[in-house]
Amino acid sequence: MTQHLWERLLEAKSRLEPVQSKYRVLFEDPATPDEPAKVLVPDPNWMACALEGGILPPIETYQRDRDVPDGEPKEHPYTEPIGAMTEEEAIEYLVMKDIDPAVWRDYKGNRTIMKIVPVEMIPSDRSFRNAWRIMQ
Amino acid sequence: MSTLNVSNISDGTTTVGTSYVVNGSAKAWVNFNGTGTIATRDSFNVASLTDNGTGNYTVNFSNAFGTGDYSFLVSCKQNATSTGPFISTETFSTTSANIRTRNVNQTDVDCEIVSASNLGDLA
Repeated sequence: MTQHLWERLLEAKSRLEPVQSKYRVLFEDPATPDEPAKVLVPDPNWMACALEGGILPPIETYQRDRDVPDGEPKEHPYTEPIGAMTEEEAIEYLVMKDIDPAVWRDYKGNRTIMKIVPVEMIPSDRSFRNAWRIMQ
Repeated sequence: MSTLNVSNISDGTTTVGTSYVVNGSAKAWVNFNGTGTIATRDSFNVASLTDNGTGNYTVNFSNAFGTGDYSFLVSCKQNATSTGPFISTETFSTTSANIRTRNVNQTDVDCEIVSASNLGDLA
């Protein structure tokens, strides 16, 4: 029987060193064009699990679970985990998991609304944070 | 990993049901820098954070919750220039929760450190 995802995460937390990703995902939501660009920050413990393998479920299970109503059984905690990913593959997985498909799959416009960038490219001065846009 | 199947835990004097321990444990938690380039300091059951703008953050869970009716507890350490902060949570879903930090004038402000924990039933 496959161990529950939460238990796998618990066990991984006790033995894996966190890994700070060198990437961030910049994106804009086409549904709210007046809002500033958002920045997705991978969690270091999650990244350690992704690089280790044998902990996280296939991304397809999260995608199928999007359509499952609240309170109904979800697939992703009980599915056999996948193997190790590279950091680049892990970022792509995270994009598909934590960013709305309207951004990474369905958008057909001409603007660039998503970019994977090195962390050094994210400004650390947040004085004008709400004016951030993705440079075209 | 081995499993201990017991109904109660006792220290010899006080006995408590394991269901209290399981249900009372945080199923996800995070502590992160809310200023500069935001970054997680430590966490559990969190896949990523989204920096949505000034004082506006989203916590994305690795293992989703069964429903959006969980308890989401947030606190933050104000930065030197802000008055407040006041914390609100605007959207709860089974997969993520949003945190807004504002000053006394209801203006969004960044917090130096933000911490959040979730209690509830997992998916």
